[in-house]
Amino acid sequence: MANDKSSIQLVTRGILSENPIFKLALSMCPAVGISTTVMNGIMLGIAVLFVQVFSSVTISIFKNMIHPRIRIPTYTLTIATWVTVIDLVLAAYMPEAYAKMGIFVKLIVAFAIITMRLEMFACKEPVKDSFWDGIGMGLGFMVGMMAIGFIRELLGSGAILGHDVLGFKPLLFFILPSAGFFVVGLMMAFFNWIEVYYKRTKGLQ
Amino acid sequence: MKDIITIVIRLTVSCLMAATVMGLCFIFTSSAKKHNEHVREQRVMYELLGYDAGAEIPESVSLYEIYRYVVSRGTGQSIAYLLPEGEDDNFLFVEIDLDGKFLNAKPMEMSEQDALEHDVRTKHIQADLGETVHAEFADQILIATDDGKRTAYIIGGKFQGFKTFINVMMAVKPDFSILGLEILEHEEDPGLGAEIEQDYFKNQFKDKPFEALKVVDVVKAPIPDDYLKALNNKVSEEDVLKFREQYKDKDIYAITGATISTRAVSNGVKAIVMKFAYRVTVLDKVLEAEHIAVPF
Repeated sequence: MANDKSSIQLVTRGILSENPIFKLALSMCPAVGISTTVMNGIMLGIAVLFVQVFSSVTISIFKNMIHPRIRIPTYTLTIATWVTVIDLVLAAYMPEAYAKMGIFVKLIVAFAIITMRLEMFACKEPVKDSFWDGIGMGLGFMVGMMAIGFIRELLGSGAILGHDVLGFKPLLFFILPSAGFFVVGLMMAFFNWIEVYYKRTKGLQ
Repeated sequence: MKDIITIVIRLTVSCLMAATVMGLCFIFTSSAKKHNEHVREQRVMYELLGYDAGAEIPESVSLYEIYRYVVSRGTGQSIAYLLPEGEDDNFLFVEIDLDGKFLNAKPMEMSEQDALEHDVRTKHIQADLGETVHAEFADQILIATDDGKRTAYIIGGKFQGFKTFINVMMAVKPDFSILGLEILEHEEDPGLGAEIEQDYFKNQFKDKPFEALKVVDVVKAPIPDDYLKALNNKVSEEDVLKFREQYKDKDIYAITGATISTRAVSNGVKAIVMKFAYRVTVLDKVLEAEHIAVPF
């Protein structure tokens, strides 16, 4: 079954039909907590992308050696290792980026999306497919976080990427964590509506 | 049983592999990481003194580090300062009791490099004092001089913020008015308390005289538009100075939705500067009374 999936399909699937935030509803905690600005979304997205790709590939390589009854601890161990390595490398060689991304990278150990992709995909599929799936999921997460961040930053701080565009702050409420639930929920409904609408028009043709 | 053994072995092997990867990574990156942290601290320090990145630092400017220790003996506690003495690698360990009276001064020999390293320095001092006395490192201050005259102190400190600690570094003039404030570390809410790292907030403290800082409070009011522009350095330099002069005795404007963070920073800064001012005054008095010559 793995052979009929091209790399492009795997990547677009992660962004659209199986988007981690809007479709799979995984890793909602960071989606709600951190997505207060577009920049936060991008930073966390990049961090997740790297950890997801590295972990997926690692698990895919060692999939035959992992005992099925201890697979979850092994996944956690793999993720923790890669998070630590990325954290150390960023701190040492990219201090500028680390100053902005540092706190996000450390959060990733507890992300459900990464463990779930290892369990659902990487432990069964070949290395190449796992790599592209990791990229797709990482990008999908990043796109979702950016979309939520865009709305919350615009409505909460009246700015986009830190640049003041509205000149005033419409609703301070949108910066608070509780508003994240509303934004995520509404966007989820919106994307589902698009999907339903799209399928219906297609079905009518 | 056999199953359990394989599980144990495999889990152990994977843990060992993970540990090896992380350990190797740490070995290769630790020195670079330390270096980066040091560079960042240095940069913040020079920026606070008014030398932005790339600016030439005149040769007449020199920096002296002073380390404060709490010395406990069987009979009680005293405060000690490790001061540089003269041009060579000589340090002086000056002990002052809690009432500000001079106790003793011991010369200590260690290289400048050793003094910079916290562990090496503390070990050195401990060895010199003997086993019955315990020296505990408290904090350090930096004195900047230009042509032998003091131009600024650099002090740091930590205080409770809205969530966890806020770590700050600031430059203070010899008359204890604030030269600059930098937030090094904090975990305030993004968009709310995290605004404390914005220029418009930090600049409110700039040039605040000591007398005004002692009684500084927080007002819950929006910052006037023209003052906000000045705080963001969007007007000419003369106007910025004019506004600073106008507002120097006023209270700190609270960040919208983050009065607690604002209050934490203003009270924290107040406490750090006041304690520091007291300590330096005591130290200077002692140095003068005992005719101890120091390069700053």
